[in-house]
Amino acid sequence: MTRYVMAVDLNRCQGCRACVEACKIENNTPSAVFWMHVFRLEEGEYPDTKMSFLPRPCQHCNNAPCVKVCPVGARYKREDGLVLTDFDRCIGCRYCEVACPYGVNFFNWRNPDEAWDEYQVPFDDPDLMPVTGGVIPSYKNPDHDRLHGPEQRLTSGSAHFKGVMEKCTFCVHRVEQGLLPACVDTCPVGALKFGDIEDEGSPISTFLRNKESFQLLEELGTDPSVVYVGGTPPTSHAREIERPLTGV
Amino acid sequence: MTRRSIITAAMIILGAGLMVFAYFAGAAPWCNNAVECSNPRLEWSPAIFVAGVVIAFSSALYYSVAKDRRK
Amino acid sequence: MATTQDMVSDRLPQGVGRWSRGWLLFMALAAIGVAIGVIGWAIEHDQGMAATGMRDLGTMGGATWGVYISMVVYFVGVSFAGITVAALIRLFNLEHLKGVARMAELLTVVALLLGALAIVVDLGQPLRGLVNLFRYARPQSPFFGTFSLVVSGYLFSSLVYLYLTSRPDAARLAESPSRLQPLYRLWAAGYEPTVDQRARDRKATFWLALAILPLLIVAHSSLGFVFGLQVGRPGWFGTLQAPAFVVLAGVSGIGHLIVLAALVRRVLRQEHRIGIEAFTWLGRFLMLLLFVYLYFVVVEIFTSIYQPTTTEQRISDALLTGRYAWIFWGSVAALVLPAFGLAWMAVTRKWRIGWMVIMGLIVNLGAIGKRYLVVVPSETHGQLLPYPIGTYAPSLVEYAVLIGLFSLGALLIGGFMKLFPIVEMEETP
Repeated sequence: MTRYVMAVDLNRCQGCRACVEACKIENNTPSAVFWMHVFRLEEGEYPDTKMSFLPRPCQHCNNAPCVKVCPVGARYKREDGLVLTDFDRCIGCRYCEVACPYGVNFFNWRNPDEAWDEYQVPFDDPDLMPVTGGVIPSYKNPDHDRLHGPEQRLTSGSAHFKGVMEKCTFCVHRVEQGLLPACVDTCPVGALKFGDIEDEGSPISTFLRNKESFQLLEELGTDPSVVYVGGTPPTSHAREIERPLTGV
Repeated sequence: MTRRSIITAAMIILGAGLMVFAYFAGAAPWCNNAVECSNPRLEWSPAIFVAGVVIAFSSALYYSVAKDRRK
Repeated sequence: MATTQDMVSDRLPQGVGRWSRGWLLFMALAAIGVAIGVIGWAIEHDQGMAATGMRDLGTMGGATWGVYISMVVYFVGVSFAGITVAALIRLFNLEHLKGVARMAELLTVVALLLGALAIVVDLGQPLRGLVNLFRYARPQSPFFGTFSLVVSGYLFSSLVYLYLTSRPDAARLAESPSRLQPLYRLWAAGYEPTVDQRARDRKATFWLALAILPLLIVAHSSLGFVFGLQVGRPGWFGTLQAPAFVVLAGVSGIGHLIVLAALVRRVLRQEHRIGIEAFTWLGRFLMLLLFVYLYFVVVEIFTSIYQPTTTEQRISDALLTGRYAWIFWGSVAALVLPAFGLAWMAVTRKWRIGWMVIMGLIVNLGAIGKRYLVVVPSETHGQLLPYPIGTYAPSLVEYAVLIGLFSLGALLIGGFMKLFPIVEMEETP
């Protein structure tokens, strides 16, 4: 059996948000949508302040509230630990979003292609062509159009349908090819780790062995697959010092 | 028991039976840790449940509206 | 030709089959309202739900459920009145309430239809919703109860009930020639007022009423569970949600019924059929429900301020003194004042229908406010991770759709009134 887990080493995270960018590029998420988000937090009053960073992908809970409440089974948990959304089945009721305590769900308020086009730099623009030399085309990973897993469902990438819920997939299209999720692959300081926890010899098992760790909002009993090492859970006094873009 | 009462009772039992079947055996199982939990064991089970509801309540309609054969 | 027809249709009671100028004006206004709603929904469908004021929770800082879901809860709540009153009349033989029984049942059916429509406009993929719910719906989701029990079971049983109790009148109307005679023949479906038939009707409606009452509790509770079971949203998780939903449902439903009954009594001159006794009974029932609900409110406030967790505190601060305070205290006032007004009338035994209509309207505003406050603050202020506080304000499109829904309800009730007597006809013609 395989069970994928992500470990976040908070001692290493420097809050550069490269993972956020990698995720956006890999999954073509539209404007204001952050499947991966890094909190840049501040506590205390000047000059006695403490800064911390907290990457927040979907927690891929083992007792996921979003899976429980989905009225049509579009949100589901796989045996390998991934919590995915069937974009062909979702009816857009957004119950998963209100049930999720982590705020990781993003709804396609508009046609994702339109939103994405506006968000993207228009590389086909004749004014831009001399600068780029036409060598940077808009890119969309063709793997996103494939069906994934033994259950053969359309679950990867963004930009699928207006009125459908999406969220972090742990890059199911990459993981199934033996690659790491885009955020993990990109992290310049190796703060994100990903792998099979059931495999005793895997790097993530070795990394997590004998280490103090915590999960976000453990007290809710959601049992996330994302484990944080080093640092402490954010307190209720923590405030975000830099908000991401919020316009749809 | 008249023919009317028998059919009415049969409709209620059939409707309730369909509801119980659809809820406990046909619809998706009450769990959230496997792909199977997201699929109904029998597709369109919720439609069967609704049909059960409709049949059970239609029994009242039948009981009141059906014409007497004897006349 | 026209004159004979007019003479003939004159025989139909309660203005059925005749257009009056006031009615046409009312229907025209309602139709305009529906058109506004349709335009709103078309815009929403075309541009996507970005046309609404709703946005994602968390980084986007919005509320993903807004007035639409509040209205689903509200409309399903309104449906409470009809079938409860109708069932109570049947079970306890409340003869003096017979005059309001049919409009109560009609109110239930219309409110449920509006509730179902409010769900549809809230879905990102409405067509998929209609198919996939029948195909894949999961009992583990609290929405299963909303969909299977409320929308299908409750609506269907209410329709059966409305039909069975209207058949004798249809048969009577089918006897006299009128433009609507073919309709009544079909409606009556061979009804003959024999002793047997009457006994059967009594029995069928009695058992239906008995079956509907528990269904009603379950259905309204299931809607409460949609919120009450969510541990990840401060302000939602709680045992009180389900019973409070049932009781507030009764408040809004009875409030509507009082307004409708007073309107019908006045416009159709039904003073002899809808007596002051009916209003007295409805007023007492409303008063009782209001006091029970206010007790729930007090319990809720007390629990939320005595020793709250930090996140619960953020919600209760937003409600009691913060951004939502004006809605909260406005709603509470809209429930408290009528409660004591009704109590005053009960003590002095002087029931004023005019005042009761005003109270019926006010408690509905209060109910809408309270529904909104259940849905929205827990989303904008209820983040457990350090996201910033969110904001939500309904957009013009959402208001347009709401106008459309209310107008559709008015259109349906107005249309029914010209098709069929909305007050049960008397036994002796």
